[in-house]
Amino acid sequence: MSSSTSISGVPSERRGIPAATFVEDVQTYLTQSGLDANSALAFLQERLQQYKIVEMKLLAQQRDLQTKIPDIEKCLDIVSTIQAKKGATESPAGGNISSAVDLIVDFELSEGIYSRARIENGDSVCLWLGANVMLEYSCHEAEELLKKNLENAKASLEVLIADLQFLRDQVTISQVQNQHNMVITLLSLSASQFVSVDYIV
Amino acid sequence: MQQPKGSKTEIEVTWEDQQNINKFGRLNNRFHELEDEIKIAKENNESLEDASNELILSDEDAVRFQIGEVFTHMPREEVENRLEEMKENASKVLEKLIEEKESVLAQMAVLKKILYGKFKDSINLEED
Repeated sequence: MSSSTSISGVPSERRGIPAATFVEDVQTYLTQSGLDANSALAFLQERLQQYKIVEMKLLAQQRDLQTKIPDIEKCLDIVSTIQAKKGATESPAGGNISSAVDLIVDFELSEGIYSRARIENGDSVCLWLGANVMLEYSCHEAEELLKKNLENAKASLEVLIADLQFLRDQVTISQVQNQHNMVITLLSLSASQFVSVDYIV
Repeated sequence: MQQPKGSKTEIEVTWEDQQNINKFGRLNNRFHELEDEIKIAKENNESLEDASNELILSDEDAVRFQIGEVFTHMPREEVENRLEEMKENASKVLEKLIEEKESVLAQMAVLKKILYGKFKDSINLEED
C-alpha cells in the first residue's frame, strides 16, 4: 500500500488515487495556483469524473472478492470433512485401517439431475487452480493451500474497502468544495462571472 | 447530501468540518451495508431454524447434509450437532451486526447535531 503523507498527516495520495486538496481560503488557492475561477472549477469537475471511474473499478473488484470468499470456504469445508472422516476411521484401536465407512454423497450431474457417489478414503484431493489446470494435493496440503487463499482474499478485501473509503472521502471533499466555497467566491467576484454562478446553483 | 440552499451565508468550511462530513458519509454508507447484511443474516437464521424443525419431523437415519456443492449422507446425530453449531454462530453474527448498527446510528446522531449546529440550513443530512 503506497501513500505519501503531507504535513497535516493526511495521505496526499493512496495507491494511485490522488487526494483532493482541501481549500480553506479560496482566494489564496486561486492566486497560488494561478488559475481563474472557471478553470479551477473545470479541474475539480474532471477530478470528480476520474474518482467516479476508479470507484466503479474498485466496486467491481469488491464484488468479485465477495463471491470468491464463500467459494473458498465451501471447498475448505469439504476438505475438512474428508480429513475428519479419515482421522476418525484410523483412530480405533486394533489397527483395522480399511474403513467400512466411506463418504456417500449426492452431487449434481446437471441442473436438476443428481447422482450418488462413494468417496473412498483417499489421501488426496484435486484442486481447481483456474486456467484449466487442476492439481492433486494431499488432504493436508490442500487444507493449507485453501486456508492461505482464504486469508489472502480476506486481506485483499479489507485493503479494498479501505481504498473505497478513502476514495469516497475525496469525492465528498470535492463535492463540498464544488458547491460551497467556490460558489461563495464566485458570488463575490466580478459581475461577469455571474452567468456561471446561475449555471452551477 | 444535496446542494446548500442558503449559499448567501458566509459560512466557511474548516478542515475539521470537512472531516466530520467525511465521517458522516462513511457512517451512512456503513449503515446501509449493515442493513443489507442484517437482512441476509436474519434469513440465514430462519433457514437454519426451518432446517432443524424439518430434521425433527423427518424419520430417516441418514440425512443428506449439504457441504459445499454436494449433499453428503450423514448420521442423524452428527447433522443435529452441526446444525446446532451453525445456529449458534448465525445468531452471534446477527447480534454483532445489530450492535454495530446501533453504534453507527448513535455516532451519526452526534455528528448530525454538530453539523446542523454549525451549518443550519446550508447542509442536508437526511436520506433523499
